Amino acid sequence: MRDTILFTTIEEVLNWGRSNSVWPFTFGLACCAIEMMAAQGSHYDIARFGSEIFRASPRQADLMIVAGTVTKKMAPRVRRLYEQMASPRYVIAYGSCATSGGPYRFGYSVVEGVDKIIPVDVYVPGCPPTPEALIYAINKLQEKIRKGETEK
Amino acid sequence: MIIEEGVLKDGTKYILVEKSTLIEELNNLKNQGYDYLILMSAVDYKKYREVVYHLGSYNDNRKIVLKVRTEDDILQSSTPLWGAANWFEREIYDLMGIKFEGHPNLKRIFLPEGWHGHPLRKDYDMSKKQYVNMKEDGTDLVSFNPEDGW
Repeated sequence: MRDTILFTTIEEVLNWGRSNSVWPFTFGLACCAIEMMAAQGSHYDIARFGSEIFRASPRQADLMIVAGTVTKKMAPRVRRLYEQMASPRYVIAYGSCATSGGPYRFGYSVVEGVDKIIPVDVYVPGCPPTPEALIYAINKLQEKIRKGETEK
Repeated sequence: MIIEEGVLKDGTKYILVEKSTLIEELNNLKNQGYDYLILMSAVDYKKYREVVYHLGSYNDNRKIVLKVRTEDDILQSSTPLWGAANWFEREIYDLMGIKFEGHPNLKRIFLPEGWHGHPLRKDYDMSKKQYVNMKEDGTDLVSFNPEDGW
């Protein structure tokens, strides 16, 4: 009997469950999305970490991977898609464009980082970052979710 | 009327034509078998803008480049000759601000409607940032005030 009862809080169980089924949103803005697709493919396979399948609708997705340059014209659309996602929702800024504007920072049409529009949980540097970096970012995000420290 | 002709670095022949005879010259080239408008681009030389037409022929694999200069940023549209010119001219209008007379639908192709200025021009004001927001129906709003953005 002593080994069969588990004491915990509801919040902890929820966070544990959420952290192991972070389903990303099919959403790529530029070349970083190619690396994101590679991470989803059979060679890297983020399904091993619970990010089972890319959902084609924001209503069914938990994680938005902002993979690429956010232009000013795209910015309100990114914001709207984020708002259409059901809570709890998480954001990874993938690549230097999404984190800070990257090489296009001083252009006339580029937003200096997606964190000007939506709250970001994990930033991934690189141009583009490797699929391993995305897997590491998802692991970091899972740690944050388990600790309950994510941006809501 | 041809002002200047020569050969580009890659061996393609080019001609520079008088602005008033642009459509005439393009029509001549089309009659010579250049049935395909490969590319249109524009260059800002500050004193004048130069629009470059890259023409090709499917039948005998020839290429030619036609250039035309404009100081008042108004040119005749070449959409009646090649349908492909439609979007090229919209792009040039969007980024370089050259107006094409006779174009069926001359509005911005990349930037949101209401954007101030044409960003690839040398005299574009980079000091003022513009912000974009979206109405419920999906049309864009452009503003200089960051509070109005996204």
